[in-house]
Amino acid sequence: MKRRTFLAATGATGAVAGLAACGGSDDGSSGGSGSTTLTVAAGVAPQPWDPKDAGLGNNAWYYQPVYDPLLSVDADGEIGENLATAWEYDDTATILTLTLREGVTFTDGTAFDATAVKANLENTRTGSNEAATNIASIASVEAVDATTAKITLSAPDPSLLSNLATVSGMMASPKVVGTDSLQTTPVGSGPYVLSTSGTTAGSQYTFTRNADYWNAEKFPFDTVVIKYMSDTTALVNALRSGQIDGGQISDYKQAAPLEGAGLTVAKYAMGDVDGLYIWDRSGSIAPALADVRVRQALNMAFDRDAIIASAAGGLGSPTQQIFNQDASAYDATLDDTYSYDVDGAKTLLAEAGYPNGFEVTMPDLSTFFPAPQAAVTEALQAIGITPNYETVPADQLINDLLSAKWAMSYFSLGSYRSWDTVQIQVKPDSLWNLFKTQDPKVDELIQTAQASLDEAEQKAAFTELNTYLVEQAWNAPWSHREQYYASSKNVTVTMRSFAPGPWLVDFAPAS
Amino acid sequence: MLGFLARRVGAAVVLVFVISSITFVLLSFTGGNPARNIVGQSATAEQEAAKAAELGLDQPLISQYGTWLGQLVRGDLGSSWFTGQPVSSTISNALPVTLSIVLAGLLLSAVVSVLLGVAAAVRGGWVDRLLQIVSVVGFALPSFLVALVLALFVAVKWGLLPATGYTALAENPSLWFQSIVLPAVSLAIGAIAATAQQVRGSMLDVLRRDYVRTLRARGLKSSSILYKHALRNAAPPALTVLSLQFIGLIGGAVVVEKVFGLSGIGTAALSTASQGDQPVVLGIVLVTVVLIAVVNVLMDLAHGWLNPKVRV
Repeated sequence: MKRRTFLAATGATGAVAGLAACGGSDDGSSGGSGSTTLTVAAGVAPQPWDPKDAGLGNNAWYYQPVYDPLLSVDADGEIGENLATAWEYDDTATILTLTLREGVTFTDGTAFDATAVKANLENTRTGSNEAATNIASIASVEAVDATTAKITLSAPDPSLLSNLATVSGMMASPKVVGTDSLQTTPVGSGPYVLSTSGTTAGSQYTFTRNADYWNAEKFPFDTVVIKYMSDTTALVNALRSGQIDGGQISDYKQAAPLEGAGLTVAKYAMGDVDGLYIWDRSGSIAPALADVRVRQALNMAFDRDAIIASAAGGLGSPTQQIFNQDASAYDATLDDTYSYDVDGAKTLLAEAGYPNGFEVTMPDLSTFFPAPQAAVTEALQAIGITPNYETVPADQLINDLLSAKWAMSYFSLGSYRSWDTVQIQVKPDSLWNLFKTQDPKVDELIQTAQASLDEAEQKAAFTELNTYLVEQAWNAPWSHREQYYASSKNVTVTMRSFAPGPWLVDFAPAS
Repeated sequence: MLGFLARRVGAAVVLVFVISSITFVLLSFTGGNPARNIVGQSATAEQEAAKAAELGLDQPLISQYGTWLGQLVRGDLGSSWFTGQPVSSTISNALPVTLSIVLAGLLLSAVVSVLLGVAAAVRGGWVDRLLQIVSVVGFALPSFLVALVLALFVAVKWGLLPATGYTALAENPSLWFQSIVLPAVSLAIGAIAATAQQVRGSMLDVLRRDYVRTLRARGLKSSSILYKHALRNAAPPALTVLSLQFIGLIGGAVVVEKVFGLSGIGTAALSTASQGDQPVVLGIVLVTVVLIAVVNVLMDLAHGWLNPKVRV
């Protein structure tokens, strides 16, 4: 995926007029020339303000206005300075030394320094949500002096720098870190402060400028309003009537009406990989899957373009890899490894000793994902494999999957940077390596990539790992899932890599 | 009258206790896996177990219920497992939204159904037939469909009213009124159909009574007979229907709130129940039951005011 910027033509008048007619926010809202309010919809509910209880992905929206992270990451995924102005690993890649920005204060007047870094990172890593999981490799933090913090890792973590640019690396005032008040009241050093008068907890959050923020030009809006909208109809109506400037649209049928209504609609990869996940590669409960030819046959059974068209309305790009298109491990040529070939798949099954196919038990996901399940059923039956579906209550699905109950299933796993993907599903102890598949070559390549401080060497190791996983047909992915981001003509939005949607810093008023 | 009130309040307290107990038990069976929902897909089983222990989910059900009840007695509804927000704060933010649209919908349906019902009963003929047709159509139209159509045309296409969102009454009364018009109308359509029929039937019944004939014979003005005497006697059945409508409208608000992007009690109930956010769900159930109990007591009082025999 390449960075896509979509610029809006001017045309604020209509939207603002419409908003006035609707009795929108008091300053005219919704950006536009002369207006500096950004109003966006968030599709996920807010979580506690304490970063240790924060999720990532779309949850990050609520934290970005009030907290500043240690590092920054641009839309292409490049790491840059922020509260830390310089960073350096030791030769073992297990000690990271940060040089901190001077003169920054939290909105309660507390100075930002190395003790604040220590307090925050040690607090966040004790949590149990995604922000905490992402910095689980941190063993200790030392405040060397006011502007130097030393982070010691339990093992090299190639994703640590990028994680310090997300909620995991966000800094709250050390005066409130560890207190209950941080659950409900944020105190940070970010570009905005939460306005209590414009905020209704659970539905609308209004942020006004932090006058003391050190990097104000990076955040051009005077006010930011985040509205929690879980319903697509309400979101589309709010966009079409000019009440909000941006929102994620997962229903492909809404793209044309929104474009017709004058909104800018961009399609982007949200970082999830859809497909048939082959969990039991060692054949513990489905012996056939231990044979690589069977797994390769599964890859040949899917007409990926047709599935994306029929099951997702065209929202997706075909793939045979579990790695993100922007990840260092990704190699576009690997997407041609297996062609759609039903006869070839049958031949491979016959060579593996399954000329008449075999039966496999899978979770019945027809209630949640009817179209993908239909695609899986059709593809498997075409090559002679009979899926037997087992009913599973919605709330039990994840736990049943994690308990290695099924040999394979349709699924979608998040896939961002190469190391994130490895951590999530490739390492022998990865949570989503459900049957704990272990392969000496995989282990060796992971170790090389993990310990490498040389970017080229690390990329080569990740790419080789990816190639091996595709050749060994660890899974049968079919699509980098995509969705739309719709925005008003009052703003420009830059879509970013390794994120399920644009961040606050990716918005600017239309010129 | 005081004894009458005390009995009603006592019954309401028992009702609150029973319903909250049932909800607690039901949630424990159907509330999903909140610990997993909170820690996310990428958390380990140990992290999930730690979160479950932190929430007290590793305790026996009776112990969990005892803890919640103990907090409740001290006036503490707890905090959301997902947002950390106090439940009382969540409810105080959501309740005005739902009450605004439900009460406005109720008021609208009361006024319109009395006018339609009285007109149909008094005039008969085409007015009565029109009411029958309107009632059937009103019954047949689901509130979510009405909401979708109103949002699309009145708000999006014509830009007359806001498509989504709620403005607090204290913040700006004019914007508050604009923000509740469409949701209230969406809710009121079905209620009007039901209540107007009830008013019509009661009025026809009352207008045939002997005392109405006597009042007419004594030369009282028809408007006085109609609104001072007949309507007062025809009102109790309509009031019963309205109190039932209130309960129905709170249920209907779930869908209407979603269509108009309103963060009311219905939306909160739906999202927190699917997540298994037990403290918030219990808080919402508690408040809803109290509301319904209060409305029933008020309706009983209104009945008593309209008909002194009820007070005995």
